[in-house]
Amino acid sequence: MKTRARLPRLIATGATLALALSLSACGGGDGGASADDGKIHILVYGDATNKIEKQIVDKFNETSDVKAVLDTIPGADYQKKLQTIISTPQAPDVFFNWGGGSIKPFVKADLLLPLDDFIKKNPDLESKFLPSVFNNAVVDGKPYGIPMRGTQPVLLFHNKNVLKKAGVQPPKTWDELLDAVEKLKDEGVTPIALGGGDVWPTQMWFQYLYDRIAGPELFQKALDGDKSAWEAPESKKALKMIRELVDAGAFGKNYDSVKYTNGGSVALVAQGKAGFELMGSWYYSQQLTDHPDFAEKGLGYSAFPAVEGGKGDPKNVAGNTNNYYSVMKKTKHPEAVAEFLELMYSDEFVKAQLDVGNLTTTTNTDRFIETSATPEYSRFQYDLVADAPSFQLSWDQAFPQSAASDMHKAIQQFFNGQLDADGFIKAMQALPTE
Amino acid sequence: MTTKITSAPPAAGPRKGSRRRPAASPSVSKVGRPGFAWALPAAVFFALFAIVPLVMVAVLSFMSWNGLGSPQWVGTDNWSRLMDDPVMLKSVWLTLLLTVLGVVVQTPLSIMLGVWAAGHQRNRAVLSVIYFIPLLLSATAVSVLWRALLDPNFGIPADAGWLFGDGNLFGEQATAIGVLAFVSTWQFTPFHTLIYQGAARSIPQVLYQAAEIDGAGRYRQFFHITLPQLRNSMITSMILMIVGGLTTFETVLILTQGGPGTDTTISAYYMYDKAFKGFDFGAGSAIALALVVAATIISLVVVKVSGYDKMRSSMEGVS
Repeated sequence: MKTRARLPRLIATGATLALALSLSACGGGDGGASADDGKIHILVYGDATNKIEKQIVDKFNETSDVKAVLDTIPGADYQKKLQTIISTPQAPDVFFNWGGGSIKPFVKADLLLPLDDFIKKNPDLESKFLPSVFNNAVVDGKPYGIPMRGTQPVLLFHNKNVLKKAGVQPPKTWDELLDAVEKLKDEGVTPIALGGGDVWPTQMWFQYLYDRIAGPELFQKALDGDKSAWEAPESKKALKMIRELVDAGAFGKNYDSVKYTNGGSVALVAQGKAGFELMGSWYYSQQLTDHPDFAEKGLGYSAFPAVEGGKGDPKNVAGNTNNYYSVMKKTKHPEAVAEFLELMYSDEFVKAQLDVGNLTTTTNTDRFIETSATPEYSRFQYDLVADAPSFQLSWDQAFPQSAASDMHKAIQQFFNGQLDADGFIKAMQALPTE
Repeated sequence: MTTKITSAPPAAGPRKGSRRRPAASPSVSKVGRPGFAWALPAAVFFALFAIVPLVMVAVLSFMSWNGLGSPQWVGTDNWSRLMDDPVMLKSVWLTLLLTVLGVVVQTPLSIMLGVWAAGHQRNRAVLSVIYFIPLLLSATAVSVLWRALLDPNFGIPADAGWLFGDGNLFGEQATAIGVLAFVSTWQFTPFHTLIYQGAARSIPQVLYQAAEIDGAGRYRQFFHITLPQLRNSMITSMILMIVGGLTTFETVLILTQGGPGTDTTISAYYMYDKAFKGFDFGAGSAIALALVVAATIISLVVVKVSGYDKMRSSMEGVS
């Protein structure tokens, strides 16, 4: 009987407990942003550059009535987490992205604000940026992104001492690269370090070779949905050359067990166990962090070699064109957002980015390069990008995010011999293009 | 006070065992069974965080959704695509392989360690503590640790070329699976050792004393007393291993990312790959649901076949 009398109280206690626990569980998943708290939320990839973004936000808040708040998502999962929150009330007002395919699905889902009205009111929002870079965030003829942070072309880095010992010069052509591979093998070092465990570094070899052999048009054709592009003779030729390079032992035998992200391939080059590494321009600051001595004295860099007889201009570059800020349609404070975006071509922004090694793509960048932390390196990159007839956005960013995983699988499988050229072509043809 | 409530119960049906041997558990008969209300908080939680999401996943498996906008109803489309998907089939085999590997390797290892650790000497206690350290680490930390330790150029393989060859452990299917099995063994054996240690300690000493009088040696004692007495713990531990094996995820995510290619893409990882990397939440839900059904069936089969549901006491016939 006593148990009976206790029952309701127990239920009440239990229910309250359950409720309290579930509430606290919700509190744990705090995304930072909320529907409308009279502020604009700016979501960026969480890394070292956040320091500058914080500085810019502080500067903006000095004069603006609508305050800006900087939210960050750390790690390589940025894109996944962004897609999870973007159609919820936790979505930010302004967010960091890679342009191209990374924002296409959001445009299709009618979540983004086209920026033509902003630009109509303030033409500087377009004219202060390098056009080839600005155009990478144009979707269906409308601009959806303002360049922020810096451009990140992929360069061929090398260890000066290792190359010197082997009697090798940074290669200007593909044949010189093959020649260097043989000489480095004779020296007993891995000719080219590759973080195949991450797969995206492997992809860099594909995007550059396709561009050199076929020019940017072929990949664009594939991106536009024409699957026959992958069967083109140029595509087959590029695959054949990759096969030859791998079979020549250019990457050693255990590249798929090596990672860039845990510093493995970075250390290979720094410690003289490998000659080259193909990597984005952030490589320099990575080496500077991991192996400062080597970065200052032994790290060399050059553009990707030309391929004889290829249709692509050897001046073309590939990599991350830039990062962009895109604006959500639902933002309650478009005027404040427009004001915030104007800071992206301010002198202060350019100087701060250059100080941490980021190369901005504004028209006033040129003026500040000589005073940057690494003038020679910045100048090399800036000229490379400014002179490039075409800037190929990384394949996995150019394609919609839904294609990235399958693309990575195909690339890894072709590279290590699990797929032949026909299998690779089929896999690429199966990728979604929108 | 409580005696009042419990004066009636011995008539209740399901407790035949205790009726047969009332003297064996005098304390139990004094205290009443907890009422249903005690299960309520857990039941509410289970419903909220397991049943409701499960139903939602089931519904989502018949829809097409990329995480943006509202899902579209596509009928059995996701399911028929999965049936024809070679990667899905491969992932099922890989999942089973890893699960079986886990059970086959970990069970003997943890029985031996557990029985050994059940002894009473001081050095055992210290060593046991060291054995249990992996248990305290998260699967993520363990995976990151081993990924670094197995780096072909700077990890263990670099110094032990005679064993690892060129160190391409993550670049080939057989070795990648070997690494996954090894890492989960390293991580979970302590847990199962703990189960066996507890069970081995509860085996009455009388049995061993009697065996010794009868002239049974160490090995005979182990195979004829210890092992049979560990039966129920073995089933418990194996069910945990199987369920754990079927839902392995973090180790694959961090160690191999399903690679090389799709060579270590187990079902749980394939679900993540479809849903959260490919933004195909419909297909991801279908895999998840298939995994739930498969795991439930396998667990039920193990419970039935092993007689775990009858919970026969290993103490029977002892006292």
